[in-house]
Amino acid sequence: MIRKIRKYEGWFGATGAVCIAVGLYFGLAASPPDSYQGEVVRIMYVHVPFASTSMTAYGVLTVASLWYLWKRDPLIDNLAHASAGIGVFFTSGALYTGSIWGKPTWNTWWTWDARLVSFTILLLILIGYLMLRTFIEDKERESRYAAILAIVGAVDLPIVHFSVEWWRTLHQPLSISQRGVAIAGVMLYPLILMSVGFYLLFTYMVGVRTQMLYLKQLLEAKKGRLLGEVHL
Amino acid sequence: MYGIRGIQLSQSYRHYQVLKEVSFEAAPGECYALFGPNGAGKTTLLKILATLQKPSSGRFEMMGHDGIRDRNRVREILLMIAHGSYLYNELDAVENLRFALGLRGLSPATREIKLALDRVGIGAFADFKIRSFSEGMKKRLSIARAMLVRPKVLLMDEPYSSLDERGMKIMNDFIRESAGQGAAVLMTSHNRVQSAEVAGKAGVLLQGVLREIAVKDLVAAHELF
Amino acid sequence: MNFFNVIRWLAWKDLLSELRSRENISSMFFFALIVILIFSFSFSMDQQTAKELMPGIMWVAFVFTGIIGLGKSFTAELQNDCLENLQMNPIPRGAIYLGKLASNLLFMLIVEVILFPLFVIFFNLDVFEKLPLFVLILTTGTLGVSAVGTLFSAMTVQIRAREVMLPILLLPLIVPVMIGAVEATGGVLRSEPISLYRQWIELLIIFDVIFTIVSFWLFEFILDH
Repeated sequence: MIRKIRKYEGWFGATGAVCIAVGLYFGLAASPPDSYQGEVVRIMYVHVPFASTSMTAYGVLTVASLWYLWKRDPLIDNLAHASAGIGVFFTSGALYTGSIWGKPTWNTWWTWDARLVSFTILLLILIGYLMLRTFIEDKERESRYAAILAIVGAVDLPIVHFSVEWWRTLHQPLSISQRGVAIAGVMLYPLILMSVGFYLLFTYMVGVRTQMLYLKQLLEAKKGRLLGEVHL
Repeated sequence: MYGIRGIQLSQSYRHYQVLKEVSFEAAPGECYALFGPNGAGKTTLLKILATLQKPSSGRFEMMGHDGIRDRNRVREILLMIAHGSYLYNELDAVENLRFALGLRGLSPATREIKLALDRVGIGAFADFKIRSFSEGMKKRLSIARAMLVRPKVLLMDEPYSSLDERGMKIMNDFIRESAGQGAAVLMTSHNRVQSAEVAGKAGVLLQGVLREIAVKDLVAAHELF
Repeated sequence: MNFFNVIRWLAWKDLLSELRSRENISSMFFFALIVILIFSFSFSMDQQTAKELMPGIMWVAFVFTGIIGLGKSFTAELQNDCLENLQMNPIPRGAIYLGKLASNLLFMLIVEVILFPLFVIFFNLDVFEKLPLFVLILTTGTLGVSAVGTLFSAMTVQIRAREVMLPILLLPLIVPVMIGAVEATGGVLRSEPISLYRQWIELLIIFDVIFTIVSFWLFEFILDH
């Protein structure tokens, strides 16, 4: 399994880089400015992919955690761990770019909007998850407790979202709604390219990180066996 | 059928291997005494057998039940006497026994509880809070708990520690009695003299490797463990 | 049947210990009192703002107090290794969860019931005809905090830095409870028609149901490998 990851991850990384490069060119240079928001709208091309990737990261974390509790495969646990770590990067990215976008459009860096709050909670859970893992000695227990936290968080996040949405709604509606495409094609193509690029980049990063965690564990085990022999 | 049987049990932590393919067996009615220096892996082995830890490889059986797959069946028949006395400081001796037995679905009569307390020599302290108990008294209370539960498998981590001479005698009488009723006993110990009185088998755990040793040689052996 | 017995025995044990030591409830109560005092000093409120801020202050005090109580709940099981004993016992894990949840919920509610009259006096509230609504909000809000809190308390008690990790993990997750409880309490205090804040009480109930079930199921994975 780890060999397979190793064989294909380079392709994901390279294609992702190409998609992002082309997407950036179209997004920043070739597409027209928005009729309402002007040049500011261009931050959308990074913000939206950041946001959707971070949700995917949590999705991967949740599925991997459930899978781990069921099958107890250490490699799946490494995948969950990797996804959480990379998720912190993408979630912070989404919050930063959202904040930069918010300043000119709503004239504030921060508002108590449902999506902002749930992304902040998402980030807090991910950081809590990584902290929890560093505080447990026993490897098996570490994986198990981390999985429990991830699952509780996955159940909680939609509730957080809805409760904050009820509480106060300031946000503009989503640009791409499920009913149909609301934005012009010239803007849509770079957005799609960027999103695909971000997903590929995410896959690449998670692949590399999973490998690293797995090999680190292997190394520790081997070192342990060597130490045991020395003692004898 | 074996009372307790370990089959190539190994356990490794992050940086070292504690147990290396440990295999042993104790028949029902037999007492197995386990010796070894501090840090040899005795307590780890007991924790695995008590279903508290999962071995990294190998398996074990108790009275024919697989310790990993049939975990709950094994839990029903085993009882552990460990360093921690499993007692609540704010409850008195009788209440603690009632709680421990209640969790197992047992509700013995007060007379029975009093009798067990008398047998281990702490009948006079029946309504004293555990907070005021010495370690030796807590250990005696653990014996009383085991007397009331009558487990088929008895695991003991250094049963003689903190007991006085009379206490050790009570402990050995109890081990003999349980073995007589067909229970399998596994104990770790540093007290060769006391263990030799009840053990039918003995083993030494060194750096995670188990080596069997004849019980009659135990007391005379010159090695230190 | 043993399932309900286990819940009963655990709750009985916690209550009896608490009656004897009064450790949890008294420390929770004084901590909450101090939180409230600090809030009142740092805002220098007039009567009107006080009424507006009061639901938030009240629930922050309750949740912080709850964290103190929840932290202590499983630390008590660590003395004499009692937690290990619970793990080894052949009892349904969900019953352990519900037993601990029952005692945690009860302790928190007791403290809240003692504190509530103080709020009425300090903030000059008219609550008497709406008392049943307050009781409903208090119970559902507190159940939400302790349903997740009991699970995390059992988890953090077995790791390093447990005093810090419990609030770090718990507080972000109970944001919906905070919002719901504060909004509902505010609605009742402002004498709004119930249709305006009914959704918040419903949110609390939904949260309670979901997280009691999820924690009940996940608790098994906390105690067992």
